[in-house]
Amino acid sequence: MSHAADNPLQTDILCVGGGIASLSTTLALLRGLKARGGDKPLPRVIILEKSRAVGNHVLSGAVIDPAGFDGLLTADEIKRLPVEAHVGKESFHFLLDDRRSIGIPWVPPMMQAHGYPLGSLTKLTRYLATLCEQEGAEIYCGFSGAELLQDANGRVIGVKTGDKGVDRDGKPKSNFTPGEEIHARVVVLGEGACGRLVGRLIEKHGLQGQRPQSYALGLKEVIEVPADETRAGEIAHTFGYPSDLTTYGGGFVYHISATQVMVGYAYGLDYSRSEADMHRLFRQFKAHPAIASHLTGGKAVAYGAKVIPEGGLYAVPSLVADGAVIVGDSGGLLDSLRIKGIHMAMQSGRLAGEALATAWLNDDFSRKSLQAYEDALHRSEVWRQLQRVKNVRAPFSKHMALGVMSAGCAWLTGGSLPWWMVPMEPDHTALKPLRADVKPPPSIGIAPVSPDRLTDLFMSGTIHDEDQPCHLKILDREKCVECIKVYGAPCQRFCPAEVYRLEGDHIHIDFSNCLHCKTCEIKDPYRNIEWTLPQAGDGPRYTRM
Amino acid sequence: MHIIVCIKQVPDTANVRINPETNTLMREGVESIVNPFDDYALEQALQLKDRHDVRVTALTMGPPQAEVVLREAMARGADDGVLLTDRAFAGADTWATSYVIAQAIKKLNPKVDMVLFGKQAIDGDTAQVGPGVSEFLKYPLVTYVRSMTVADGRYTAETMMDEGIDVVEGSLPVVMTVVKEAAVPRFARLGGWMHAKQAKIPRWGVKELKAVPELCGLGGSPTKVVKIFAPPVKAGGVRMDGRELPSAAVQAVVKLLQEKGLAS
Repeated sequence: MSHAADNPLQTDILCVGGGIASLSTTLALLRGLKARGGDKPLPRVIILEKSRAVGNHVLSGAVIDPAGFDGLLTADEIKRLPVEAHVGKESFHFLLDDRRSIGIPWVPPMMQAHGYPLGSLTKLTRYLATLCEQEGAEIYCGFSGAELLQDANGRVIGVKTGDKGVDRDGKPKSNFTPGEEIHARVVVLGEGACGRLVGRLIEKHGLQGQRPQSYALGLKEVIEVPADETRAGEIAHTFGYPSDLTTYGGGFVYHISATQVMVGYAYGLDYSRSEADMHRLFRQFKAHPAIASHLTGGKAVAYGAKVIPEGGLYAVPSLVADGAVIVGDSGGLLDSLRIKGIHMAMQSGRLAGEALATAWLNDDFSRKSLQAYEDALHRSEVWRQLQRVKNVRAPFSKHMALGVMSAGCAWLTGGSLPWWMVPMEPDHTALKPLRADVKPPPSIGIAPVSPDRLTDLFMSGTIHDEDQPCHLKILDREKCVECIKVYGAPCQRFCPAEVYRLEGDHIHIDFSNCLHCKTCEIKDPYRNIEWTLPQAGDGPRYTRM
Repeated sequence: MHIIVCIKQVPDTANVRINPETNTLMREGVESIVNPFDDYALEQALQLKDRHDVRVTALTMGPPQAEVVLREAMARGADDGVLLTDRAFAGADTWATSYVIAQAIKKLNPKVDMVLFGKQAIDGDTAQVGPGVSEFLKYPLVTYVRSMTVADGRYTAETMMDEGIDVVEGSLPVVMTVVKEAAVPRFARLGGWMHAKQAKIPRWGVKELKAVPELCGLGGSPTKVVKIFAPPVKAGGVRMDGRELPSAAVQAVVKLLQEKGLAS
């Protein structure tokens, strides 16, 4: 039997990206419709995920704000969440330099997380995926949304998946499989931070927020440590070292069980020092005595990196278009003070799902009908949180003290001071030319808790079929020559995966190392790198991130 | 023509570690995949289906969650799938496994033309179940097949042997095990998956197969795993750091080999 004839493929609801935002949308939609009853059959929901298995491309701390579970999961399901600990002892530290730190005697109220579930986002995502499948949704892994399909009026009607089996020169191989068109009544875009289709949609329909999105790059390891039951549930957050005073950077250490510690460091991508090396900063952070004491006797066993959209309220685009909605990180829905987005992905997904349920019953997926999602979001706790911290992130780009002050102000006034929009420049414009007198960073020995970049990379499990076109496009090689001269090829250092290597005056690209974080597209000072989709199924294989 | 392809769900052994204290597999974070060699066997079957009027059935034995490998095979183009699952099958060695699979094949189609296996599974690496099934079925066996053609109830197969390529001819039915040189497996299409996801897959246990319970599972296994241990980790060895100056590292390696009399 041949299935080639059903082209284009058809479904009712199509989600691009199998992360928690899409899954929450699906769950709310299907459960909402079942609760409402009625004669209309349930819609067919299809979720496309570019990685090989659900959860392979997600990454977070993760201390999960349980607000996201409300109205989405039953009490029983919350009880069965794949978490091994809840937050017990919390602390907050300001790291002064590579040795000294000040323990902030009280955890700032906005940061408190006592009793929150603590665990792996990969596992949470897989859990939600199981629930979605039980409700009848279909999840297909190894398929990317390569192209947004729109009709003559600009209404989104579906997506085209990426081609497979193309060789390095762009020619079809023996197993060449062209992308397939799949049409739907509505497309839910939950691609995660810096999504490709979302970017296109925003551009084409003028959905931009008031200022461009700003990102941070987060690097994370899972460290296995000798069992210590007393530490499970202990968490610590830091700011300060190794960030400089004009970069929004901070770290975390979470004891998610007696034997596993999640350690991570996030660095604002509007940093100015060309010499900044992300993986090195991460290692410097881990070597700090305040952090190292959490990792004693441990060994890194997993690694990953991902960008975090932290532009906040002003960077949130319009989230609806004819035939499409944007949910979660794709819409920049993230609390940029707490760097928490999981609950917002779940909440935005729930509200989108509820709006889609009504749209399904009314048979109307126009922008006007879907607007109910955005309206509900603006009335929700998500929006109140975004309002409250709307001006916390931007002042950190000027100076840490200013940032801390504005965070305090925001807390005291519920976000109404400052009332104006503190401006923020796009990340790629912030880099300053590499100075000749830069001191080399302190040397840190390779250790089980501090592997080098390639060893870490191995533990990310990332792999790409190497006989395919390079998915990282350098748009103009001439600009590289200039960049090497002025900035000293910062791509070598901002990439957490050692994709870029300077060989003489040539940038060599090992695209198979790529972790799909998209830092290069965001931070390249000339915007000279385009991150395109590699063959679906390729990329990191996070199993416990 | 009817081809049955036997496939197995295995842990992705590229990521398996052994707990040095308990000598057990650490399955945390290890994903299940289709045994890669079985993908080549399926591809062989699908290529015959591309050219001839062939029904391809995927067959697997395993826990209920192994069903996914059958759906994947159907997404690629297999026509149907059968899952052999029963608590009584647990702990089977290659003999007991071969017995159950042979019973299933007899039930599925006593006149089946061809049964294909991957040359071995990457978890146990025994390469015994394909030959075992051929014994139970009393079908001839051709191993290490890298290519084949079929015409008028006869096959011609090229097999990869240590000393070269053998060309084997014979009449159907036949059991074959396939090597990776056979062909690059095709990708499953989205449309194929959407079809496969909704397919009904029968589940057969001891009762459906009319199998003799004493011949199944751990109890029916003449071989027993007495002990599992991890081989001792090799001592560190000598490391030449070539990151700064690769040529110096190469020279150091050459010098070392010369000292040991391994190079002149």
